Amino acid sequence: MKFPWFKRIGIFFIPATIAGWLILISAIAFAVYSFIDIDSRSHSASDTLMNFAFMCLIIGAVYSLIAYVTSRVNPPTP
Amino acid sequence: MEKLNFEKKLKEMGKPEITQLKHEDLLSDSIINARDKSVVSWWWLSVPIFIILMLLMKSTFMPGTNLFSEMHELKSNQKLISIIFFLISPVILIVINTLTIRKIHFLSGSPKSFTFIGVVWFNLLTIVVSAFILIIYSF
Repeated sequence: MKFPWFKRIGIFFIPATIAGWLILISAIAFAVYSFIDIDSRSHSASDTLMNFAFMCLIIGAVYSLIAYVTSRVNPPTP
Repeated sequence: MEKLNFEKKLKEMGKPEITQLKHEDLLSDSIINARDKSVVSWWWLSVPIFIILMLLMKSTFMPGTNLFSEMHELKSNQKLISIIFFLISPVILIVINTLTIRKIHFLSGSPKSFTFIGVVWFNLLTIVVSAFILIIYSF
């Protein structure tokens, strides 16, 4: 498997390979699904936005952890 | 003739020069890695910070409540979330960032200057904020 999948620019990990793009697209798709799910259960716009922001932070934390682990360069083979 | 040529070659030969030390590579790699780690750490810290800000806002607008009473309520209502984001992740982040700072300190020859703090200030800030979150959780 060819690493790194991501490269870091500031506080964001940008995909550098197809696998990285797949992870980013999955994260965005999950965020959209969460928004629809939260919106169907909430009572006001602020309720939706506050819960969605919380969910976005959790998705961002998990995504950045995956990106960090897969953005390491392959160790040199002996 | 052959011997003369060999001597000439020997004179022309210089000492083998290493333009970049392996140690320098290790140090630069560990500094870049420390930056990456601190970015991931702040993503994980953003969740408890967000919760604390929301609880602060709630305690401001609801009379008779404060941050610590709201925190107690969160601890009893959302046990798993509070343990993961207020206990486990700050402890892990403190350990990881301390080890990273120790490694950079060792690789840079144990300097006693403010230049070193300038390199690892983001990791130090991460440790301070993690400790702050742990203190709030422990009340």
